[in-house]
Order: sequence, then C-alpha cells, then structure tokens
Amino acid sequence: MKKLVEIKDVCKIYNPGENEVRALDHVSLIIGEGEFVAIIGQSGSGKSTLMNMLGCLDTPTSGKYFLHGQDVSHMTDDEQSDVRNREIGFIFQGFNLIPSLTALENVELPLIYRGVGKKERENLSKAALNSVGLSKRMTHKPNEMSGGQQQRVAIARAIAQAPPILLADEPTGNLDSGSSKEIISIIKRLYNEGRTVIIITHDPGIAKQAKRIITISDGKIVSDMMNPDYVD
Amino acid sequence: MYLEYIKSALSSIRSNKGRSFLTMLGIIIGIAAVLTVLIIGDGMKATVNGELDSIGATSITVSMDSTKTDKKFSPELLNDIEENIDGIYGVSPSQNMGGSFIVRDNLTYDAYISAGFAAMEKSGQVTIVHGRYFSKSDVDEAKKVIVLSQTTAKKIFGYENVVGQSVQLDAYGPVVEFQVVGVRKDMTLDTAFASFSDSPTLMADAPYTSICDAYGIASDNIESFSIYLEGENKEEVLSKTRSVVENVMGLRGENAVKISSSLGFDSTTDSILNIITSVVAIIAAISLLVGGIGVMNIMTVSVTERTREIGIRKSLGARTSSILTQFLAEAAILTFTGGMIGMLLGITISYIICKVIDFSFYVNPMLVLIVVAISTAIGLFFGIYPAKRAAKLDPIEALRTE
Ligand SMILES: Nc1ncnc2c1ncn2[C@@H]1O[C@H](COP(=O)(O)OP(=O)(O)O)[C@@H](O)[C@H]1O
Ligand SMILES: [Mg+2]
Repeated sequence: MKKLVEIKDVCKIYNPGENEVRALDHVSLIIGEGEFVAIIGQSGSGKSTLMNMLGCLDTPTSGKYFLHGQDVSHMTDDEQSDVRNREIGFIFQGFNLIPSLTALENVELPLIYRGVGKKERENLSKAALNSVGLSKRMTHKPNEMSGGQQQRVAIARAIAQAPPILLADEPTGNLDSGSSKEIISIIKRLYNEGRTVIIITHDPGIAKQAKRIITISDGKIVSDMMNPDYVD
Repeated sequence: MYLEYIKSALSSIRSNKGRSFLTMLGIIIGIAAVLTVLIIGDGMKATVNGELDSIGATSITVSMDSTKTDKKFSPELLNDIEENIDGIYGVSPSQNMGGSFIVRDNLTYDAYISAGFAAMEKSGQVTIVHGRYFSKSDVDEAKKVIVLSQTTAKKIFGYENVVGQSVQLDAYGPVVEFQVVGVRKDMTLDTAFASFSDSPTLMADAPYTSICDAYGIASDNIESFSIYLEGENKEEVLSKTRSVVENVMGLRGENAVKISSSLGFDSTTDSILNIITSVVAIIAAISLLVGGIGVMNIMTVSVTERTREIGIRKSLGARTSSILTQFLAEAAILTFTGGMIGMLLGITISYIICKVIDFSFYVNPMLVLIVVAISTAIGLFFGIYPAKRAAKLDPIEALRTE
C-alpha cells in the first residue's frame, strides 16, 4: 500500500504561553492509498484540528506533514490552496454550500479554481450530481433542498474533480438518521470505488462503518486499529 | 476564469438590487453632473463661435490697467504693432468721443464719434454705401474728414448721399468744419447704442488725428486700441502684442497690459465658463468621493456578510488573488454600472437643456471613454481595501463564522 498521508510528530498549540492549548500533541500517523479511516474522539479532543491539518487548511506548530511524499507543512497560503484544490475533497458537518448558487454552480466551484473549461466543468459536475442521485436538483438553490440533499450536493462537489482524499468532518452531524444512513452508504460506495476516505466523528456507530479506527483524546492518538466488525 | 468572477459579481449585485442602487447613487449623480456641465459648455462654445463666424472678423482690444500704470499708448506704438505682427488687417485706436455735437444750419445734434485709423474700415462691420472711408493719408495729415452713418446722414441732411457736404463739429468750444467723404451702413453697434436712448444716436467715424486736433488733445494719449485679425490666430497675436507693448513701454513683468477680445468667445466668457466648470467639477469630485466611500463601505459589509462564503471558496482551492479579483470585479461593476446610468442621465439632461436654450448639442466620444475609465477606476480604488480584507481571511476562521 502506498503512503498517501504521513504525519510526523505534529503539535498544534493554541495560545502559546500561559493558557496554552495542545490541540494536537506529538501526533504521528500514516494513511495509505485506498484506506477507509474513522478518527473518533470526544468533543474537544482535537479532531477538527487534525482534520484542518490533514486538509491543508492549517499548518502545524511543530512536526511535519507529507502528502504524496511532498512536505506540505510549511507552504504559503496560495500553495496550500492549490494542494487543497488538487488533493482534497471536503465534506463538512454544516454542508458549506454557497446559498446564492445553484447545486450545479456549487459543484462547479473547485473546477473553476482549477481552471477547467466551461463545457468540461459542466459535464464533470453533472456526472458527480448524478452519482449522488441529484440529477433532478441541478438548478435548485441550497435553501430549496433538504439537509440530506444538501450534503449530497456537498459530496458531489467533493468528488467532482476526483481528488485522492475525501475528508469528512462529522458528515452526518446535522442530519436525521434516515439521511445519515444514505450519506454513509454513499461514502462507503466512494471508498469501494477506490477513493481514500477519512471520516471524523464522535459517533461510535459511524466509526464502526470504517475499516480502520483511530481514537484520539486530549490531542493524542490513544488507539489505532483495524475494525474487527468491518463488513464490506 | 475572469468571466466567472464577473458572473458571480453580477449575481451578487442582482441579489442585492436595492442596496446596490443606493450605493451607486453617488457615482450616478457625480457622473451625471460632470457630463451635463461639460456637454452644455461645449454646446455653448460651439454656438457662440458659430454666431461669431457669421458676424465676421474678430478683433482684440488692448488697454492699460490704470491701477498699475498711467502710461498711455502712442500712435507710433500702434504703427509698430501693425508693421511687426503678421496675420492682422490693421490697428486702430478705439477712442469714442461721446457727447459731441454736430451742427448744421444752426441746429445741433447729439453725436457719437469713433476716432480711429483707416484700419477701422477693416473691423468687419463697415460697409461703405456712398463715397469712401477715410484713408491713411487723411490720418497722417489730420485731414478734417468724416464718414456718417446712413441714419445720421438722413437725420441731418434729409437724404442719404451727402458726400461732399460738410458738418460743423462742436468740440466743447471750438467749432471745426469736417468734410463728409463717405456714408456707411448703420452698424450693429449703432443700433445697440440707439436702444439706450429715445432718439437714435447719430454715429460718425473720423480720423483719430483730426479729432485730437479739433478737441485740442495730445495724440499720444491713446487709452485703448483695437487689432483687427485676419484669421484664427488670436492666441498668437495676443501673446505677440503683449510682448511688443511690454517691451516698447518698459512694462515687462508688471502685468499692466489688459488684452481682451472685443468680439469672439473672449477670455471673460471663457473664464466664467471655466469657473462654472470647476465649481461643478469640485461638486462632482466630492460626490464621486462620497460615492467611492459608499462603495467601500458596502463592499466591507458584503465581505463581512459573506465571510463564510469566502472560507468555503478558499477551502475549495480559491487563491488569494481569486478572492481579490472577485471582490474587485464586484466593486468595479458596481461603479461602472453607476457610471453608465450617470452618463445616460447626464446626456439626457444636457440634451434637454441644450434644446431649451437653443445651444448646439454634441457629445464628445472622448467623454464617454473617460466616464467608463473613471467610474471603473473608482470601483477598483475603493474596492481594494475590502477586497484585500476578504482575500486575507483565514479559511478556518472564516468557516467557523455563521
Ligand atoms: N482557534 C483556537 N484557539 C484556541 N483554542 C482552540 C482553537 N481551536 C480549537 N481550540 C481548542 O483545541 C482543542 C481541540 O479542538 P477541536 O480540534 O475543535 O476539537 P474537536 O473537533 O475534537 O471537538 C479544544 O480544547 C479547543 O478548545
Ligand atoms: Mg470538531
């Protein structure tokens, strides 16, 4: 299995000095291509901080982060933007769709920043929306859709340009159980299609769906094991 | 990609129509005001110049600023100018002897006598109907000859062709006899004077030297003189005249010589127009400044409102420059649209005004270009601060905001 993500001895310290918070405390982690990983931990354990780090939204206070063997821990803002655009598809708890844009336009955004031409952009975005079962909702605005539908648009946006990593932070946190199941099954399908999926959650029920479960507490990895209950 | 920014800017402006319009108002008013004044000014110049062309030759009047010097001009200086400056018909004192009396058969008539050189014939207004105008030699020899206007001839003699007759000129005491050598048509100027009194003033032209003789005044006491121009070389003649006069009279650098175009779109009218233009320009500049600040304000509000959107865009791979461009485009489109509306408004207003006061109406295409450039530039200038703020937002912070 090829290394996709390698984190070496990463610390993230907020408010260094007196009231300092060690959101990540000497974390090391390797995730290979095509893995399905859940990162689980209680609220305040440092999950989102880790996700921001993995998603190149944040840089570590110390330690290194290699993505595809490339050191991405100390890059300029624009370099980070490019890495995010190329490598990562985000799925957020709050969907994070732009309210003034239609579903299709939202899905097109990362492709616009990648410089994909209009025709190809449209084709890729429509294909992505089809694959999450939203071919009839292309021209709808986010406020015209249910939570589950909005999250499916967000997933379409995350996969439209086929990034190697899907990074989901509490993807079902704002959804009822029906929609949650739907979303999880879509995510599983994407994994089965060959994508690397990292889900961050506080919900053991969700974590149990993944092949590998990493538990973090107080900014430290306290357990990292293959899921014995995993079913394909 | 830029097309995407423009599209997204347009949709954001459209989704905030009312607010966008209010923001544009300052720009609209500013641009409309400037355009109205500039177009009407152009129309006024074109109209006045057009009327002048139909009148004929223009002339320049030169006089001394009596607060700076009490020097007067001499006939020699006038000859100097006539010989040394190209492009002129001639030079003549413009001395008017008001309150003179022409006497014939013991009857006295109020008269108004223009005393000048033979060049006065070239003023563009003199049309001889009988006889001739007085000549250079009449002037040189101070011959007592006179040219009467048609009205004067008829009034005094009862008929028009009075060449060869003579009149007495009552020069406040001495009465001197003048030979009538010609009769000319009434001039616009005569009619203008006539309108001030009940009975028409009687007009006559005579050699400057002869009048000086008759009235017993020194001939080198010329208070003002006129230069009759051949063509469109007013500015050149003006500056040459100034330098000749200042050199000969030793007045260099004292700014004592007053030069004005007696006919023509002269410097007074020009400067009044310039004052009006600058006042409106200042008002417009303030209005544009206020408009620009309004744009800055609304863009700052918009950046704050859309912080989360900016975070989302950044998480999806938008670079600093993409966000910057997006918000700059929005500001520029806002002011550009304001500029266009202002232009339509300004052109409409000036068109209506020009029609009402009968000025010619013409829009210089350069104005349109300048409006486009200025209004866009305002957006870019005042948009840069909020756009930079947006571009610099930290994506994590931005995503956290509600
Ligand atoms: N910007 C920040 N400034 C200061 N402390 C922060 C900041 N972000 C997170 N933290 C702290 O870091 C710790 C980990 O936070 P987070 O990664 O959000 O946890 P989780 O997502 O697991 O709930 C918490 O104690 C939180 O209060
Ligand atoms: Mg969290």
